[in-house]
Amino acid sequence: MPALPLDELQLTEKDPKTGKLRTFPALHPEIKADRFFVLYKPPPNIRNHALVEEFLERAKFIADDLDWLLALPHNKFWCQVIFDETLQKCLDSYLCYVPRKFDALLDFHPEVNDMQKRLHRCVFLTFLRMSTHKESKDHFITPSVFGEILYNNFLFDIPKILDLCVLFGKGNGPLLQKMIENIFTQQPSYYSDLNETVPTILQVFDNVLQKCGLQCEGTSAEPQKLEERVKVTPADLPLQELKDIVLFLCDTCISLWAFLDVFPLACQTFQKHDFCYRLASFYELIIPELESAIRKRRCEDNSLLTDLWRRLSHSRKKVMEVFHILTNQICLQPILESSCENIQPFIEDFLQIFTSVLQERRFLRDYDELYPVADDVSLLQQASSTLYPLLSASGLSTVF
Amino acid sequence: AGRQVPAKALRSFSNVTKHDNYSEELADLTTKRSKLHEQLLKSDLTWKKIVKFVNDNLEKKDHQSVNGDLKTILQSAKQIVGAENVQEAIESGAVFLFKTFHMKECVGHDETKAIKQMFGPFPSSSATAACNATCRIASHFTEEQLTALIQMVEEQNGDNRVFFGKNVVFSFDMHDLDRCEELPINGEVDAQKIISLDY
Repeated sequence: MPALPLDELQLTEKDPKTGKLRTFPALHPEIKADRFFVLYKPPPNIRNHALVEEFLERAKFIADDLDWLLALPHNKFWCQVIFDETLQKCLDSYLCYVPRKFDALLDFHPEVNDMQKRLHRCVFLTFLRMSTHKESKDHFITPSVFGEILYNNFLFDIPKILDLCVLFGKGNGPLLQKMIENIFTQQPSYYSDLNETVPTILQVFDNVLQKCGLQCEGTSAEPQKLEERVKVTPADLPLQELKDIVLFLCDTCISLWAFLDVFPLACQTFQKHDFCYRLASFYELIIPELESAIRKRRCEDNSLLTDLWRRLSHSRKKVMEVFHILTNQICLQPILESSCENIQPFIEDFLQIFTSVLQERRFLRDYDELYPVADDVSLLQQASSTLYPLLSASGLSTVF
Repeated sequence: AGRQVPAKALRSFSNVTKHDNYSEELADLTTKRSKLHEQLLKSDLTWKKIVKFVNDNLEKKDHQSVNGDLKTILQSAKQIVGAENVQEAIESGAVFLFKTFHMKECVGHDETKAIKQMFGPFPSSSATAACNATCRIASHFTEEQLTALIQMVEEQNGDNRVFFGKNVVFSFDMHDLDRCEELPINGEVDAQKIISLDY
């Protein structure tokens, strides 16, 4: 007899109170074990014995509990995942607070490093199991129900997916790509969430510009009194504020890039919000100002300034890479994969994107250095004979 | 303090995530320790089962000395768990000590940590006495016999099942900052590299 999906499976057991047989769904809160997962807290960045011991105790609780969870049979695993709020909070706290490799270098005790590694693997495997609707031929969930379970219980959400990409995208990219593709395929509502998320990311850009006194006129919702218009630039900011801005910028750029690198299918959703233009425009405003602000601070903490410079340079590169992934996914890949009759809209998209960023001169210069636009134009020329008139009309042919 | 990552901004300002409040979990370590105590009390491996296993598998001439060692473990458990606790709690403590020391020759760092984690600060002499007594008992049995005693119960609890993902090749590699050019010391902007659009 073929196995039933977990969401249709019924279990029968003897009621310990009445002694009678009773039937109940295999996905049921009563099956959840009384386990209690603790929250993750990052390792202490000072060599304090008591704090290290507390970290190790907490981390061991989590690692032991996740090992136990991963060894559970299919239905018990899913009951725990769905009905145990402490597990969800534990996983979320790990994603939020585990140190990233690009964070400030922390000199952890070897025992702390070993425990971190153990935890890192357990957490990944837990998310892997949570993103798998078919574990074996006998253990599976109906795909549509699986999508509902993930979404309705917030087992995955956009911030968690961004964190997963940053934490696991480098070493486990192909597997993570399958996981995220499966989540979005089985639950298309995640595309709607992503669509809602992009304006928040753009708002994050605006907030950074505002903090640096660089917000474009007309973008502020509040009218500003003339006497309040004191011009602030990044050069005027206290070093700590400048540091916060650069760290935030770096985190933002890495997160965006890590996500799009693992899941390029998200590019269309980003571009619905004119993301390429907004990204280039943001770069044009913020990067030269921050570079100048760091260069001018000669008499302050030099190692901090060097670190900030490194993070700013890295952010620049990640912006370029994000822009490249977007244009590649939205325009170039479809052109390479489509027949000649279908490529016109993609060529027009390409020209529209690059025409929109023509005024962002610093951005274009830096982008062209990393990804020569002439190469893309050449590719388009080979793909379509109608390109040249369009290129001439856009003015791009004179630039590249 | 949390990291200032965009995911955090999304958690705070968007409607696409669940807004959790972690403030009530400040004492979660204490709660976890009491849960472990409860689990220990519910453990299928009881002190009676250990005593029965020892008596069933030993010759009569060894019974006296071994029973003395079992009493020592129980006495140590009383001192470690706290004499004010009920017999049930003391016996579950003795089971914990037996499980902790059945393959050890001395009280090492890991064992000390495990006991402290379970019961809080404890007299080290009691742990040493329990360890020595367990060693003497264990010397009468083969490793397989002792493992069978512990695992027989763990299999019933389902702890010996297949670990999901045990064959997954996992990489610890994480995104890092690229190497980049040094911080320029002249403070000049590289103006000549800017593309001119004055056609």
